[in-house]
Amino acid sequence: MSNAIDQTRRMLSLVTYLRERPGARVGEVARAFGITEQELIGDLNVLPMCGTSFRGGDLLDIDTDGERIWWHNVDDVAQPLRLAADEATALLVAARAVAGLPGLRERDRQALTRAVAKIESSAGESAQGSARVGVTFEAEGHVFADVDRALSERRRLWLRYYSYGRGGMTEREVDPIRMVTEGHTYLEAWCRVSEGRRMFRLDRVADLRVLDAPADPPPLELRDLSEGLVRPAADDPEVVLEVGPGGRWVTEYYAHDEAVELPDGGLRITLRTPDPSGLRRLALRLGRDGRIVAPADLAEQARATAAEALAAYGPDAAEQAPAES
Amino acid sequence: MAIAKAERLMNLALCLMNTRRPLSKKELRDSVEAYREASAAGSEEAFNRMFERDKDDLRELGLVIDVDESSLDGEVGYVARRDRNRLPEIALDAEEAAALSLAARVWQQARLAGAASGALQKLRAAGVPFEAAADREHTALEPRIPAREAAFEPLLLAARDRRPVVFEYRKAGAVRAEQRSVEPWALECWHGHWYVAGWDRDRKDARVFRLSRITGRVRTRSGGFTADVPDHVDVRENVARFAGEGATATARIRLRRGAAFPLRAKALASDPVDADWDELEIPYGYGLGAWLAEFGADVVVLGPDDLRADVVARLRAVAGQDTDQNATQGAQR
Repeated sequence: MSNAIDQTRRMLSLVTYLRERPGARVGEVARAFGITEQELIGDLNVLPMCGTSFRGGDLLDIDTDGERIWWHNVDDVAQPLRLAADEATALLVAARAVAGLPGLRERDRQALTRAVAKIESSAGESAQGSARVGVTFEAEGHVFADVDRALSERRRLWLRYYSYGRGGMTEREVDPIRMVTEGHTYLEAWCRVSEGRRMFRLDRVADLRVLDAPADPPPLELRDLSEGLVRPAADDPEVVLEVGPGGRWVTEYYAHDEAVELPDGGLRITLRTPDPSGLRRLALRLGRDGRIVAPADLAEQARATAAEALAAYGPDAAEQAPAES
Repeated sequence: MAIAKAERLMNLALCLMNTRRPLSKKELRDSVEAYREASAAGSEEAFNRMFERDKDDLRELGLVIDVDESSLDGEVGYVARRDRNRLPEIALDAEEAAALSLAARVWQQARLAGAASGALQKLRAAGVPFEAAADREHTALEPRIPAREAAFEPLLLAARDRRPVVFEYRKAGAVRAEQRSVEPWALECWHGHWYVAGWDRDRKDARVFRLSRITGRVRTRSGGFTADVPDHVDVRENVARFAGEGATATARIRLRRGAAFPLRAKALASDPVDADWDELEIPYGYGLGAWLAEFGADVVVLGPDDLRADVVARLRAVAGQDTDQNATQGAQR
């Protein structure tokens, strides 16, 4: 259904656009409208069926030879249309959110801010709804500018990076591929140590240097990120957790294969991860709200780590409940 | 073969935009082939329903359709007046246009992604110079705004149209979900998760809900809002407070050198204790105990006492030394 809506919206603009451009090239028009040439041809097949027929059969005489588009009875049937409320909201909320990104180049920020003001005044009433939606990106600006520079100059980076799973610092050289923000900001890069594609969260970069060496990642296809930025691989080891009602949030933060409801309001969660040791930390975080069921050695690691940590609080802590809670 | 919906909508739009006088429903039925087919094949009722839906769809696309009840003899007339539908002059330069078209790509949600590219197409058709850009480098970043929560779209529409909703909501740590009756005011994405703020009709107070905790469908209720909508709704401040961002107290911890970088990055003060350990002062807010427990033996809480007790209790639970299973549930996000 939404396809028909989007297509109608597009065709209304297309008619206005083609009116000014006799003999427009299919490739250029498709690019301008952000669609494939096939989609455009689809639109061009529909348009000749459309018109103001109440006036007596006035159909749009638009056709194409697959390369150029011709409109033989150019008419003033469409004009630039006002923005709908949803359109103004989508554009303004996006522009404001991006303009607020820490680390954005100042020139980009200023251009966006000017554009927002112009759209606001042009959209008038339609713009009001945009106040109902807000988006904040993380403030992870401290290394952003250097990563940005490495990407645009195609240079290699040296990172001192906090590995969440191992809980310690690692040093490595990486070839940047792209920088993506979704909640947090990540650098996707080819790691020259592990010889694989990795996601580095910018707030876990302790230190970084842009190297003189050019970045030289192997030719890679960009991954589809629509299912989330961090996806386990099919052959990653499987871990099973059981959480109580207080641990249900795990499903919101970890990509998982399955979450089965338990009678007490909890969940049995099955997930895969390339780095199960990171889940030892999750178990520590969960406390009595959850535990690792399998594999057994991971559950034992979590138990041993907790016992070791308790030892630092003295024999009292390890043997009896604390005096206050 | 049935005529495609996009063709039907397009024809209706062109008819409504290119008439100088309001057109009656009958005139429109006779003008749009799909309507003639629908009337011939089915009942008048089927055509009526189709026509009403189509008008709503065109209005969603921004078309202002005036309903004239007086000009035709006893019949309602419809017209999309040119002056009411024209995009006002908008003078974006190439740099502004380029920045805008990059920003418009952030939406990962179908409805808003469609709306954003539709907006760009309208601007492009109006002559905004999008093509001329790319003469300089832009920030090398792809910002993405996900909205995977099923409740997102119905709440977005309900907030827009000021329609009350009901949904099942499971509070953090709750054993089961409860029905909530809400007048949604505003949505906010924070740390990649969506929240809605609104008036909770049963609790007679403003509340914030996390969309991922809404279970089942969001259903729209008839009628409008009963409570006043505040001029400014600060969802973010409310959410940030519960996420521990608004810490007012501080805690003292001992941290193994080289360990727990994220914790160290938050430190207000840091002093070496000996060759292996530092003593840190860190902000103390909601959820800190759970976070500190994560670092295991690399962290020792020195104070305050309630935080120390919280972390010890958590560690005891994981170590299997939890003698008191019914102890108070620890704070969780």
